[in-house]
Amino acid sequence: MTTGNPSMPTAVAKRPGGGGTTPSRNLRRWGRGKGRLLYVLPAAVFLAVLSFFPLIQLIRMSVSSVTAATLNGSWDFTGLANFNAGLQQGDLSRAFFNTVIFVIVVTVLGLVGGLAAAIALRHSGRISALLLGIMVFVWALPPVVNGSVWKFLLGDSGLINGLIQATGMADKPVPFLYDEHFALISVALVNSWAIIPFNALVFRAAVLGIPAETFEAAQLDGAGPWQEIRHVLLPAVRPTSLVLAVLTVVYAFRSFDFIYVMTYGGPGTSTNTLPFLGYLQAFVRFDYGLGSATAVLTVLMVLVLAFVYARSVRKEENE
Amino acid sequence: MKLRPVSALPAAGSHLLTRRKSLTAFGAAAAAAALLLSGCGAGGTSSAANSNEITVWHYFSDPNQVKVMTDYAATFEKNNPGKKVNNVYVPYDQLDSKLIASAGAKSGPDVVVYNGSDASTLALANTLAPIDDKWSSFADKGQFPETVVHQVNGKTYGIQGYVNLLGLWYNQDILDSLGIQPPKTMAELEDAMAKATAAGHQGITLSGLPQSQGEWQAYPWLSSAGFNYSSPDAASLKKGLGTAQDWVNKGYLSKEAVTWDQTVPFQKFAAGDVAFAENGNWQVGTAKSSAKFKYGVVPLPVDNGKVYLGGEAEGIGAYAKNPDLAWTYLQQTYLDKAGQLTAMQDAGSLPSRKDAAADPSVTGNELLKPFADSITSHGATYPDQAVPAKNVANVQLAVGQAWSSALGGQSTPEDAAQALVGKLTPLLQK
Repeated sequence: MTTGNPSMPTAVAKRPGGGGTTPSRNLRRWGRGKGRLLYVLPAAVFLAVLSFFPLIQLIRMSVSSVTAATLNGSWDFTGLANFNAGLQQGDLSRAFFNTVIFVIVVTVLGLVGGLAAAIALRHSGRISALLLGIMVFVWALPPVVNGSVWKFLLGDSGLINGLIQATGMADKPVPFLYDEHFALISVALVNSWAIIPFNALVFRAAVLGIPAETFEAAQLDGAGPWQEIRHVLLPAVRPTSLVLAVLTVVYAFRSFDFIYVMTYGGPGTSTNTLPFLGYLQAFVRFDYGLGSATAVLTVLMVLVLAFVYARSVRKEENE
Repeated sequence: MKLRPVSALPAAGSHLLTRRKSLTAFGAAAAAAALLLSGCGAGGTSSAANSNEITVWHYFSDPNQVKVMTDYAATFEKNNPGKKVNNVYVPYDQLDSKLIASAGAKSGPDVVVYNGSDASTLALANTLAPIDDKWSSFADKGQFPETVVHQVNGKTYGIQGYVNLLGLWYNQDILDSLGIQPPKTMAELEDAMAKATAAGHQGITLSGLPQSQGEWQAYPWLSSAGFNYSSPDAASLKKGLGTAQDWVNKGYLSKEAVTWDQTVPFQKFAAGDVAFAENGNWQVGTAKSSAKFKYGVVPLPVDNGKVYLGGEAEGIGAYAKNPDLAWTYLQQTYLDKAGQLTAMQDAGSLPSRKDAAADPSVTGNELLKPFADSITSHGATYPDQAVPAKNVANVQLAVGQAWSSALGGQSTPEDAAQALVGKLTPLLQK
């Protein structure tokens, strides 16, 4: 069996001659490059078929009149009519407001909770391993199952209300999922709970990457646990925080499953966020054009956030 | 064969290696594409190429309703040796979307059991096949009232094998303890709920989900207040929504109803501490298996209001592999007298055939009789004829959301009514 690259000795032998690259060598290099590119092909095909194509279709749909009757036929171009209709119907502004609140709650709690869990579990041990295992289980739970369990727990006769009433904190059930103000926050809290394990695992990896000597030096300087966290841990996980912040914001922005299972956007339209509004428009009202316009607006907002993130990362790297 | 010199081998090996790499990469790409295609196809396709099998899509999860499907499959397979029925469950909220998506791929089930009110959406999306030729030559066609035949633009797309409608379930034990009779009017119902609540029970359960199920449950109370889709007015809507909100404020009805579909409120009723439940005849089986108290049913006391005559329609998929076998299945199950009585016994469904509806097992059934009485006294076509076919889903969602917002206290009845009329006016224009 031939090992290594058999053509290499020939190329090396020519180099001392100072002749640089030859056409045959360029050809071989191009051939090798092409071979490598072929390995990328499956991923490229996947990306093109599952990401770019749907995105282009989404944009096409958002500027067309597409209903259940025309979905599988030709689509009439309608320009910005779907965007105008979305604005005029009045649901969009409320959904946007709800989305912003939802994203803030999920991002803040997701990051703070994840970091706190990572710090608490930074030392190896049986309890840490057990808790990490449970967290991976929670993270891997399908959102529909997760949401259904929480809907049950947060119901009038659920465990949470049972505990609240048993401990005398309230004499009536707390309307977690059916009060117009509580409902959005409740679903956002559950969503945060579901993302905390992932954030904790990533934060923990960053925390474990800090050399032990750094902590020893801090302790020699008289730093207590809180000062260790403030002056050693937090600066060290800052780059990770930026990445996780963007991932969490995007996660919160596209959150649909928990709302679908727990409130279906209700009461009324209290928990309609942009993704859920898009779902209602496209898959309940079967106005795919209108739903796509809402989805395009959501994508644009995420893109703006991604741009802000990219700028902040570049600034960080330059510093 | 000419032997090549040894010195030529490395170059050839390199070429072979590159080629091998290319083949490997191509194979990986092909495998990925195949995986992708198989993944896309798995969810959409249903009907096997096997000409001896028919696929039936339905959205039943209630054990009693699932039993109807398995009993029908057994009947068909017994009548047609060598033929097989493949029942496929698709969640209620996803059935229409999946049918539309599979029609785009020119695929789909042989038989579709769908919400009758979605007939127009599904027919316009070319997911159902017109069955006029089969229906017109069906010997028992005369047994079916026109209200259970679903036509869109003059073509027939489905027949209902039974009728479902809402009634007022009551807890006999609670009413006896309070010394009151099952209510026949709105005033009597409110009086009974007040007494039940004062005695520590809950008054009533119903669904306030902000979607079509909410609209289905809201319509009797809204129509009782004078609302109709032919000329929707804010005043009657305000009155109807106000009545429901009042029930919440007085403690007759839990605000939690806004998170309940139609299954949950009946489970709450069956638990035994609720005086009434607005629910359907399909709960007969659940009541028998779950309720540990005496119970009964009366027509919804909605005075001059209306109760939708709903139920699932059965049609043949536009891309059915075995449309003739599918029609045979429908004839031997949903459209057959014995088949309809099977559904009545399993799940309390009211037969749509005149001869089956007149069967002693139906007329002598104390739980089904009040529902049957409601058909003649308060029955209304579902969806309302005043709603244009293309806007049925829009209207149901808008009314469901208004109903939910009133029950949940998101809006005052006046604001909810004004906003709803604003939405309905353009949607109801023909």
